[in-house]
Amino acid sequence: MTNFPWLTTVILFPIAASLFIPLIPDKDGKQVRWYALVIGLIDFALIVTGFYRDYDFSDPNLQLVESYSWIPELDLNWSVGADGISMPLIILTGFITTLAILAAWPVSLKPKLFYFLMLAMYGGQIAVFAVQDMLLFFLVWELELIPVYLLLSIWGGKRRLYAATKFILYTAGGSLFILVAGLTMAFYGDTVTFDMRTLADKDIALNFQLWLYGAFFIAYAVKLPIFPLHTWLPDAHGEATAPVHMLLAGILLKMGGYALIRMNAGMLPDAHAYFAPALVILGVVNIIYAALTSFAQRNLKRKIAYSSISHMGFVLIGIASFTNIGLSGAVLQMVSHGLIGASLFFLVGATYDRTHTLMLDEMGGVGQRMQKIFAMFTTCSLASLALPGMSGFVAEVMVFIGFSTSDAYNATFKVLVVFLAAVGVILTPIYLLSMLREIFYGKENQELVSHEVLADAEPREVFIIACLLVPVIGIGLYPKVLTQVYDSTTVAYTDRLRNSVPTLTKPSKVAQSESSLVSVTAPQLNIKRDSP
Amino acid sequence: MEQLYQYAWLIPILPLLGAMIVGIGLISFNQVTSRLRQPASIFIVSLTGATMVFSFALLWSQIQGHETFLRTFEWAAAGDLKLTMGYTVDHLTTVMLTIVTTVAFLVMVYTDGYMEHDPGYVRFYAYLSLFASSMLGLVISPNLVQVYIFWELVGMCSYLLIGFWYDRKAAADACQKAFVVNRVGDFGFLLGMLGLYWATGTFEFSEMGMQLETLIESGIIGSSLASLFGVLVFLGPVAKSAQFPLHVWLPDAMEGPTPISALIHAATMVAAGVFLIARMYPVFEHLPSVMAIIAWTGAFTAFLGATIALTQNDIKKGLAYSTISQLGYMVMAMGVGGYTAGLFHLMTHAFFKAMLFLCSGSVIHGMEEVVGHNPALAQDMRLMGGLRKYMPITSLTFLVGTLAICGIPPFAGFWSKDEILSQAFSANPALWFVGWLTAGLTAFYMFRMYFMTFEGQFRGNDESVLAQFKPAFGPGAMDTQELESDQEADPHHHSETPHESPLSMTLPLVVLAIPSLAIGWIGKPWENFFEEFVYPPGESLEEVKALMAEFEWSKFLIMAGNSVGIALIGITLASLMYAGKKMDPSAIAQKFPSLYRFSLNKWYFDELYDRVFVQGSRRIARQVLEIDYRVVDGAVNLTGLLAIIGGEGLKYLETGRAQFYALIVFGAVLGFVIVFSVV
Repeated sequence: MTNFPWLTTVILFPIAASLFIPLIPDKDGKQVRWYALVIGLIDFALIVTGFYRDYDFSDPNLQLVESYSWIPELDLNWSVGADGISMPLIILTGFITTLAILAAWPVSLKPKLFYFLMLAMYGGQIAVFAVQDMLLFFLVWELELIPVYLLLSIWGGKRRLYAATKFILYTAGGSLFILVAGLTMAFYGDTVTFDMRTLADKDIALNFQLWLYGAFFIAYAVKLPIFPLHTWLPDAHGEATAPVHMLLAGILLKMGGYALIRMNAGMLPDAHAYFAPALVILGVVNIIYAALTSFAQRNLKRKIAYSSISHMGFVLIGIASFTNIGLSGAVLQMVSHGLIGASLFFLVGATYDRTHTLMLDEMGGVGQRMQKIFAMFTTCSLASLALPGMSGFVAEVMVFIGFSTSDAYNATFKVLVVFLAAVGVILTPIYLLSMLREIFYGKENQELVSHEVLADAEPREVFIIACLLVPVIGIGLYPKVLTQVYDSTTVAYTDRLRNSVPTLTKPSKVAQSESSLVSVTAPQLNIKRDSP
Repeated sequence: MEQLYQYAWLIPILPLLGAMIVGIGLISFNQVTSRLRQPASIFIVSLTGATMVFSFALLWSQIQGHETFLRTFEWAAAGDLKLTMGYTVDHLTTVMLTIVTTVAFLVMVYTDGYMEHDPGYVRFYAYLSLFASSMLGLVISPNLVQVYIFWELVGMCSYLLIGFWYDRKAAADACQKAFVVNRVGDFGFLLGMLGLYWATGTFEFSEMGMQLETLIESGIIGSSLASLFGVLVFLGPVAKSAQFPLHVWLPDAMEGPTPISALIHAATMVAAGVFLIARMYPVFEHLPSVMAIIAWTGAFTAFLGATIALTQNDIKKGLAYSTISQLGYMVMAMGVGGYTAGLFHLMTHAFFKAMLFLCSGSVIHGMEEVVGHNPALAQDMRLMGGLRKYMPITSLTFLVGTLAICGIPPFAGFWSKDEILSQAFSANPALWFVGWLTAGLTAFYMFRMYFMTFEGQFRGNDESVLAQFKPAFGPGAMDTQELESDQEADPHHHSETPHESPLSMTLPLVVLAIPSLAIGWIGKPWENFFEEFVYPPGESLEEVKALMAEFEWSKFLIMAGNSVGIALIGITLASLMYAGKKMDPSAIAQKFPSLYRFSLNKWYFDELYDRVFVQGSRRIARQVLEIDYRVVDGAVNLTGLLAIIGGEGLKYLETGRAQFYALIVFGAVLGFVIVFSVV
């Protein structure tokens, strides 16, 4: 164990480095991108080294903790730490952001500002996953919106301003709920504190917990996103450029899921027991509703954007499953979608660079000239439709197993949910494969070929996809490589959640199958408790 | 010997390695790798050959009486729950291993000739190797989750290979259809698997069966619920083995190159469904209603496939429907408790049907020299005829395959089909009748196919026949697609008569003819060596032997006589209609126009599904998107509008000072705290 402040370093290093960008003598942006890439790589190396040296997988508690008093008058502390939930996401952030910088290689419009914002995002995103102080969390949550807003509104597509405004209104509106709920929690009871661990131990009345839960939930529902608060996402994703896209899909969506586990489930377990059925229902709605809209969508970027929404439904079901394997699957799904979503969006961008259209009707038969892109697109689509051997499958199957063996719900409800969620298993290949068919298969679209140069993928693009696919396939072949990293934490979380539902016992096989077979038709948790 | 088992995991890994190396080469150094045709194919074929040798060694060791080998490792874990993966080597596994590796090896040799001029030659080998790897992984799976994993992977390979010629629209549609229809089956498989796991707490086959039995006996789980899970799992085989009502993908899958039609869509992957039923036997045995459903699905599919095959003119489509029909036999056998019979037919069918498909590929290869690279022409039997003269080896091996599938002794198909029929008879004479009738239909359509292709006069240059395929060129009658296919065809249109295929193609045919002819002997009912080796997991060797001792010649001869009899009737009819021209098939067709069209249009399944499912799902999706755009998003935009209006009003309240906002937020929080401390 070393006492080096790893987390603070990895947050502040890219931000500090970004401040030097204006000083780089560079007109055409060739040096800046190298600078940004090197900074990204160094920071990623720091993240990995830090966790490798000082993080203990078997310890479910917060590790690498640092806490410094920042503004004592406000009781604001700079406190960071990582446990099994945030650690994989921090690594994912470093990984995806570095690749996004590489993906942004051809950016020629205001390169200095672009890379400045990318590096600022780098630190900001890690901070969201690392900070352990409620007030600080709200601040970094808000701060990370600004670069995204600028990245969207300057480098986006035709309707970029509309999309960026919608994005900022939604998320900023949502985060107001974090502020109110967070402050309320801090001032509740005898002690005033912003520290998340202390807050989690506060004994909050159930009635009050429900309100707080609802407030947090709205904020994170916007981010994840959850139906019906998702409509900013197709717009934002439809207008963003590929590198920004990778960040949006790869990391920003995960913040919602992360915060749901950390705060809603972690700090308000009693309320979670009441909200869980709603989470499951919304998860199912997400899966089916977004799959259908994705199928009907003719715009490539919006299609993939809807598919992201659909995949996030599994995270919700996993969080609400009250089982180890379900929660584990939810975390895995976040990491997995981060990788797969980023790769798909990158490929959409690469295709757009060549065809200069996103409308499926204007494509067709491009596979003959873009064979490598065709191959990579196929692989990533198969990963996205949860083909076994890739990470998406493992995550979904874990969520399925977790939910179907969960003893927190009655049989009818479980059957219904599993059935409907499995309908998504049919719908996903329909929209992804017809997308592939419409882009790549069939005869060449003469009109397209006549005025666009359909060059095949360059080595940089192949490299990026290869980097993303190695962990996707690695986890798919041997998921334990990732699950063992966070298993102790998810077990601790599940224990805490299960303790808050008194009817749930430690699972033993016989008791489990008996208790879950007592069928009550109402979709409720089997909770018997007096209202406080 | 033990060493052999320690390294049995190499069996799926070796082909995977081959596929990966070639695949990475294709992605990274496309030009170079594509040019290394011979090295790539030799590399992959020799890896497959190595797995074949390995598989035979394992088979030998199992025949010698080596006990079942199982090795697992922890694959994923969450808390106390552990998912394990691994491999198992038992009798069934080794039989499947040898079938898969042998057919795969021969098909790969054949591919060298068939795909010789194709620019995607190397890519094709990579896909083939990937498929072989997935299929072998499926066969050695020790539990249901692992089967599911490889089950989907073979489906993916099938998707890639059907869509191999991706510039053809028909191939693009077919590969998507195959994947989606299979996903419908997998949907059931997944649900059933989860249900069984929830009930029994295990994914391991025999354990699952035992647990389920005790659960049903003690009444904790109703047998109807358990049966529901069983039927859901059975949906997987229904899709993969192309059983009614999910059989529609298999005929379309013939858009893929012929070698994969032989390997994937005749011999191995489609038989995986039967294999899964066999693996799930410990569970299904206890659920009589599931067994009945399996049996009747199989019987109906056998009949359905045969009736459609009667009128098909595309040689590959005809064989595809024949495959559906034969798979129906296997599934029916499984359903009536004929575990051994079903697997025996799986084995014999794998050999003779792979050979038949490879023969059809050889025929197509020959036809392409005459009519050009147009599947609509090169595969149509109305343009063939008299090919025996030009392609003696192909025609002879095709005849062997035809006799085998018709169930003429002593060819392989006779023994396995007869065993199925006698099992069916003892279970339910109605099932036997369907199977028996289908045997007659099979004999008819197979000999129709043989006569149309190899006997009579060659019609490939007959302008009057060709004219049926090309609309008259006149002003306004020009179909662009026809024109294109014509252009495509012209450069290859360089021969007046077809020729026999090269050695790399005919050699696998000859090799496959040997088992098609002779392998039935290992399953002859009075000395059934196959049954002593492969028997249901619930039975012991002594029981099997005792049962075999009850063999009666009189019974056997009656059953065999019946099935051979109807086959001979079918053959006679076919020869009268297509060889001797004593009867005019089109006159018969005109006598029963509705029946003829019903068969020709494949019972209108495609039209029905298109109307109900394809169009239906598109309509629903469009409506949901409309709702998303107008209602969900619209509501938000409206609130946005309200916010702007509200903002105008608030302007007068705003002082622009941060303290003021802080005060509001603070007040709100305070309010919250006070309200809830009181409550």
